[in-house]
Amino acid sequence: MNKLLQFRRLRMVMAEELRLLAADRSFWVVSLIFLVLIGYALSNGLHQATLRAGAQSAIVHDDVQRRAGQLNKLERIMAGKEVPGPFDNPADPTHMGGGYGAHHAILPPAPLAAVALGQDDLFPSQYKVTYESRISFIGNNDIENPWNLLSGHFDLSFVLVYLLPFLIFALGYNLLSAERESGTLRLLMSQPLALWTLLLGKIATRAVVLLALAVLVPVATLMLARPAALSGGGTLLYWAATVAVYALFWFALVLAVNACGKSSATNAMVLIIAWVTLVLVLPSLLNLAVGAAVPSPSRAELATRTRVLTAEAMARNNKLLSTDYAHVGKPGVLVPKDGSIQMAGRLRGMFLIEREIDQKIAPELARFDLQQERRQALVARYSFLSPAAVAAEAMSALAGTGQRRHAWFMRQVGNYHAAWQQFFFTRIDAGRAVTVADFSHIPHFAWREEEGSTVDRDAMWALVQLFAPCLLLLGFALWRLRRYRVV
Amino acid sequence: MIWMIARRDLLERWRDGRLLWAGGMILVLLLTALAIGYEHRQQARAEQRAAQSADYADWLKQGRRHPHDAAHQGMHAFKPEAALALIDPGINPYIGSTVWLQAHRQSEVMFRPAQDATSLQRFGELSTGWILQVLGPLLVIVLGFNAFAGEREQGILRQAVSLGIPTRSMLWGKAIALGASLLGLLAPAALLACVAAVLAADAGTRLDTWLRFGLLAFGYALYLGIFVFLTLGVSAAASTSRVAITVLLALWIGNAVIAPRVMAELARRTHPTPTRLEFNHALDANLKATSDRLWMANFGTTERWGRDVPLDKWGKALQFDDHSSYKVFDRHFGGLWDTWEHQQALQEWSGVLLPMLAVRALSMDAAGTDFGHHRNFTDAAERHRRLIQDIVSEDLVKHADPLGGQHFAYQSGPELWKRIPAFNYHPPAAAWALQRSWRSLLALCAALGLAFAFAWRAASRQRAY
Amino acid sequence: MLEAIGLTKRYGANTALDRLDLRIEPGDIYCLLGANGAGKTTTINLFLNFIDPSEGRALINGMDVTRSPLRTKQEVAYIPEQVNLYPTLSGLENLRYFSGLALGRELPRERLLGLMEEVGLDPAVADRRVGGYSKGMRQKVWIAVALAKQARALLLDEPTSGLDPRAANEFSNLLTRASANGVAILTTTHDLFHARHTGTRIGIMKQGCLVENLESRAISDLELQTIYLRHMGGAA
Repeated sequence: MNKLLQFRRLRMVMAEELRLLAADRSFWVVSLIFLVLIGYALSNGLHQATLRAGAQSAIVHDDVQRRAGQLNKLERIMAGKEVPGPFDNPADPTHMGGGYGAHHAILPPAPLAAVALGQDDLFPSQYKVTYESRISFIGNNDIENPWNLLSGHFDLSFVLVYLLPFLIFALGYNLLSAERESGTLRLLMSQPLALWTLLLGKIATRAVVLLALAVLVPVATLMLARPAALSGGGTLLYWAATVAVYALFWFALVLAVNACGKSSATNAMVLIIAWVTLVLVLPSLLNLAVGAAVPSPSRAELATRTRVLTAEAMARNNKLLSTDYAHVGKPGVLVPKDGSIQMAGRLRGMFLIEREIDQKIAPELARFDLQQERRQALVARYSFLSPAAVAAEAMSALAGTGQRRHAWFMRQVGNYHAAWQQFFFTRIDAGRAVTVADFSHIPHFAWREEEGSTVDRDAMWALVQLFAPCLLLLGFALWRLRRYRVV
Repeated sequence: MIWMIARRDLLERWRDGRLLWAGGMILVLLLTALAIGYEHRQQARAEQRAAQSADYADWLKQGRRHPHDAAHQGMHAFKPEAALALIDPGINPYIGSTVWLQAHRQSEVMFRPAQDATSLQRFGELSTGWILQVLGPLLVIVLGFNAFAGEREQGILRQAVSLGIPTRSMLWGKAIALGASLLGLLAPAALLACVAAVLAADAGTRLDTWLRFGLLAFGYALYLGIFVFLTLGVSAAASTSRVAITVLLALWIGNAVIAPRVMAELARRTHPTPTRLEFNHALDANLKATSDRLWMANFGTTERWGRDVPLDKWGKALQFDDHSSYKVFDRHFGGLWDTWEHQQALQEWSGVLLPMLAVRALSMDAAGTDFGHHRNFTDAAERHRRLIQDIVSEDLVKHADPLGGQHFAYQSGPELWKRIPAFNYHPPAAAWALQRSWRSLLALCAALGLAFAFAWRAASRQRAY
Repeated sequence: MLEAIGLTKRYGANTALDRLDLRIEPGDIYCLLGANGAGKTTTINLFLNFIDPSEGRALINGMDVTRSPLRTKQEVAYIPEQVNLYPTLSGLENLRYFSGLALGRELPRERLLGLMEEVGLDPAVADRRVGGYSKGMRQKVWIAVALAKQARALLLDEPTSGLDPRAANEFSNLLTRASANGVAILTTTHDLFHARHTGTRIGIMKQGCLVENLESRAISDLELQTIYLRHMGGAA
């Protein structure tokens, strides 16, 4: 058959399908509902992203102000205009290195953050880094109602991963079966029209409509509301591609189910079951399986171990802890002299204990990290089983709220922590006071964004993982269509 | 007559394979979730028991040291995992179960298990409760969507009506058939769950676990009952089976998938919580104000632990300081937690139209894994911490203060450590849980009433052909 | 030209069509008679490549339908018993779509209206939704499609069932005109009268076999009825 004539017929089919869809009231209802959901999800995402950005800038502002205040105070102390207190002395490295002087390490939001809010509440974007062991500041999460954590966010990623498939089902569950049941398929197939041409035309029309809703609308909205999103460069394109390929997967499934030649009702049932399995059950089963295969080390054990170490360290430093605060009655003791500062015995003792615990607990924490890495690697390897899991993580990664970027953040926090400790430990050990000049050398957390190539590579891999089952389903559909009974 | 209708309906459902396949799949999932839940829960409980006793043993074993230091090392409180957590783990994955009772710091839970989670955490955990809440209604819909609509399409309804069968009998008959199908499927799983829970329960709490299980079962029965009548109502009101199932699926997606997230966002906006920074600032400001007032009154200076406070007054100062801060902490943390409970209450009320939220709250409450129970635990932990602090402060005042400048040279030993009791926490009784669940129960009953009224009306007014 | 050579279709142990040999020349109107399940519709479905033959071949204008499905469909027009069009589209829109698919290009509106007039459809109903059409009107739209196609062969499945006598007569005239133009026509029917008066040849099918092959001019109405009933197992 002349390819050109099939191409013309393809165009005719597409045009007619569009007309048929437009005349179908349920199509408008479903599209409208979807549009509303997308709109709400986007607005919610933008709102939350704005709130978070605001909260972060408040923290940064707070840090800066406190530091300025501390510098001011130190200058006054050195000029003799103020007497320092025993627990808030900017000249004392044990204070400045501790909670008094600590700043936050901040993970700034990525340009597309509004699109997938991710588990930002479970994986915090800011840590107050002190010289204490990592264990003490890692747990300090932002305040969120655990019920809300359980529910999850209503963001664009949720709508696209969970609800887009339903839209695709609604438009396509009876792609062929309706024509057969109503008798029009016979009429179509008695014309020189290949079955494949018909199907392609139907799917293409629906895909165009759907992607306009699912991709163009959010992109347009983002461009208007959050122009910074475009600065992400290829990220937005990758996001659009991810949504498109994810939608393609569900279209391929619809095609495969239709190709089996069952009734419209059966098709609908099979598709719903597929959705429940792929989107609801498989990911959480996978979650459980990974948890069983590589269980997390016991946190209770960690707490116990920490306490045991604390006890031992305190016992070792008992003498220091038994010394008294000499500053009482002698306030001048707290002022640095010739760059040296006398730290109260007890405080010194506390510091030494903290350091000891930190060093000893480090291997335990490393074990946790290793286990976590192994679990995440397992997830990455097997999530291809659920396209929903792949798509959700891919969208989170592109929005900058994924697990990989957070792990990268944690590594930088670790480095910053080490630098911070280094800066203050040398001073504490030598009994050197913090001077005004030192202030500009205090380690500062400078966020380094991920390599673009890493982001791109992961995005491509996700696309491949989504595309492969598409091809499988298309192959299956092609095979079954050969035997498709028109009557 | 109702029984005849019910029996025939049940038979048909069995014969067309729906009951077997759909029900079978759900049953397999349920049993898997139960097995896994049981294993998790047993492991967690054993861990907690071991850790709690080791913790107290270590406390007693401490050598001689300044009591303040002992209080700094502190104790841990481990929240006992509720027996019914194997059915509904509730918020436990999102909130820690270990509290460090340390001197001078309001105790907050340490780790959230979800922190150790992978990126799949967002998809939730497969638990029995989740399956019943999310997939249960779907099962009801699949079994019942064409109860009326299908018969109408086949012309059977017309014949039945022509025989003079009243529609209310049909409604009751079909409702009973649906209910019986569900019962047949879920009863074995329920029995297994009950046995597992009672076996897992701590000694002395068996009766309590029974009662809680009863509340749980009642809640789920109400929930599924709502969907039974909703499904039958829609089936009666819809012109074809296809319309019926489309509407029902849309309702299911709205209730099970969309509603929890939308309502969480709504609750967040209606009862906003402060960021950590804002919270800390407010707390610190209040603490400072209180402490300034107190120190000025007692020591004539607002400088805490400064040169104007002699060492022989440090014990007493510690006592004042702690006591004054208690009220501030209670007000701020209490306010925060009250806000969370308001957020949840709002969502429970929405259960009248979105029953999933009400049953979720009820399920967690009955299982003992909701925020109310957690708050009960953290309050008890905090009370224990204050007890430790008070005993320690008292000892300091008696023995360390008189030593004047040698305040910190004072060391105490096992005779003091023994005076502090072990942290012995018992979760609240079933009656307490029942009392707290009044909102969700009311919402579920109201929803059931609405669903029944809808089904009644739809069945009476439906077209026979 | 329509040709069946040893055409056979089996469903498992059941033989729906048993070695059918048929040749319909251009201008022939071949009427296939038989009870329900005799194999009439199966024959048509085989010619349309809706089902694959177990044995034998079906040829349209010398081309095997299984080897060149799209090419052969260009040559033949099919009119089913029940014509179901797209109810949300108008008669004209349905005509335009199907004729477009048939020819590979869209016909202009005037031509389409002309076609509708040719089949006897009031132009006023052309733009009304097909959902409101009667069975006869829908069939007329479909005949218009067939005419637009200008196919050399026609396959009809019980075309006059459910039509009132005037419509049935109109239809017969249509067939006669087409046959005069050299179209080869195969039609299945229950209507003995229609078969003898419109058809040029008559075949009787029983349980998948062609048991009689008659010239319609050579027999009378009564003879046809007798032969038919004899094969159907009724009293002569």
